[in-house]
Amino acid sequence: MTRWALLAAGVATLALPPILPERYLATFVLLLLAATVTVGVSLLMGYAGQVSLGQASFYAIGAYAAGLLSVHGVPSLIALAVAPVVAAVAAVLLGAPLLRLRGHHLAFATLAVQLILLSVLAQADWAGGAIGLQGIPRLTVLGVELRDVGYAYAAWVVLAVALLISRNVIESRAGRGLRAAATSETAAAASGVAIGRYRLAVFTLSAAMAGLAGGVYAFYLGYLSPGSFPVLLSIEFVVMAVVGGLGTIAGPVVGAAVITVLVQVLNTLGTQPGMPDYAPSVLSYAVYALVLIVCVLYLPRGLVPALDRLRATRITVAERADPARTGP
Amino acid sequence: MKLTVDNVSRAFGGVYAVRDVSLTVPSGELRAIIGPNGAGKSTLFALIGGQLAADHGTVALDGQPVERLPAHRRARHGIGVVFQAARTFPGLTALENVMVGAHATTRAGFLTAALRLPRHHREERLIRERALTCLDRTGLADWAHRPAEELPLGQQRALQLARALCGRPRLLLLDEPASGLRAAEREHLATLITGLRAEGLTILLVEHDVAFVMRLADRVTVLDLGRVIAEGTPAEVRADPRVIAAYLGPSTEPPTPAPAPASAPAPAEGAGP
Repeated sequence: MTRWALLAAGVATLALPPILPERYLATFVLLLLAATVTVGVSLLMGYAGQVSLGQASFYAIGAYAAGLLSVHGVPSLIALAVAPVVAAVAAVLLGAPLLRLRGHHLAFATLAVQLILLSVLAQADWAGGAIGLQGIPRLTVLGVELRDVGYAYAAWVVLAVALLISRNVIESRAGRGLRAAATSETAAAASGVAIGRYRLAVFTLSAAMAGLAGGVYAFYLGYLSPGSFPVLLSIEFVVMAVVGGLGTIAGPVVGAAVITVLVQVLNTLGTQPGMPDYAPSVLSYAVYALVLIVCVLYLPRGLVPALDRLRATRITVAERADPARTGP
Repeated sequence: MKLTVDNVSRAFGGVYAVRDVSLTVPSGELRAIIGPNGAGKSTLFALIGGQLAADHGTVALDGQPVERLPAHRRARHGIGVVFQAARTFPGLTALENVMVGAHATTRAGFLTAALRLPRHHREERLIRERALTCLDRTGLADWAHRPAEELPLGQQRALQLARALCGRPRLLLLDEPASGLRAAEREHLATLITGLRAEGLTILLVEHDVAFVMRLADRVTVLDLGRVIAEGTPAEVRADPRVIAAYLGPSTEPPTPAPAPASAPAPAEGAGP
């Protein structure tokens, strides 16, 4: 059943780009990219028990890496491939000291990293400074220069790769070790799980996913500035992960879709004639806050687990009808 | 595997929990560590398993020092641990819990998993097979696909043992494995421990229940107030006046606890058959 749902979702999203009106196509591409980053955030939060409030830093690092390389003549596809590597290297360098911190300390530290990164980027003339990096060429795949619909497919592929890697990691020796460590560090370590190294690996992997998505973003927009990666974006990723459901594979995608659509609707509402200038931004902040509060209150485990449970209720009822099993 | 603990100490806030403890457990021996409450049994256990670092002293496995290694590295050296509290992994099935135990003897990492390299499939098969064997052995085969938190307490303990065995340990540390178990479960556990010993596994059994220990152990080390006060065969230890004094002495609980739990130490139990 899940397999069919997955197939249906895949086919539907593949059929969508050519028929979407242009202004929604941009939303669609950004949704897929946000979902890709959120897959990493969810891996980090749901399976490794770590919170990053600075995930947009790695999105930015990937975007700038791809942008700068291609501006300096590196073929775009190679620049795109390098983007996740640069983000991953940055994560290893930052993660080694940062991951000693726990819980909200780590969250603040990652937030601080992003603030530092943004101010460094704003000062860096070689990266375009506060004005931004301009003239990024279009992404060329097999000699074909991608147009709008092409980016939708590029983003789709990137998300699919992130989802596949996420599933592969979760359903493996390493994934079990991570999930074990998230519930009992002592017992996991005693079983031979190198917790510190595992957490660094997940942090790095999540950064690589953000970096890859950032690479596509750079080519899609053709222009990057520090303002494209506000702290609010990092928070948005966390909200998407939480709303969708941590510790699930489909959660990040569902969360990204729900939040993106909601923000889009509110944006349209906020830009209606007669609304004040600040309406769109106020509404978007308000929606994150509200959605997060509602989610924590009524769906503490997120949308996907809530739906799963709804379906599982019937199964459990059937199971109870069985004669009670006794331990051996 | 031979365990050598030499002059190990660990203090908490200036108070020694374990002080200058030395003991040698030859390969294949089932050694029990007993002592009244607060004797330092669990601290010693944690110093060997790596959950705590010693202030000084050495811990060696087959002559190889491991006292500076973190717990996960000690697991790779062949130490398997069963904690006193049921430290299972909720959210993972019983089978997955046991599969985590195989970490100590397998290697596949993130890249292998992400790219589904051949090694991943090879190890996964091996781990699953071994975990199922361990579940079977501990009588948990029927629970394999249940989430760990749904298992009754007795089964959760057995699950920890299965997890430890899945790592193919050569030294097994058991911290009060019998406490809180019903009589039948206790018998099952005793049979299992005897079987493991017969296979040549070195076992360190920290136990509160003196009667349970006395019939299983080859030798017994008695701790009191962080020091070794006696060591010998169960019969020798039982007759040792220092041991009797430690259990009856003013620093411990009364000899005949009135409404005490079944696992409370009472010298009368130790003297029984």
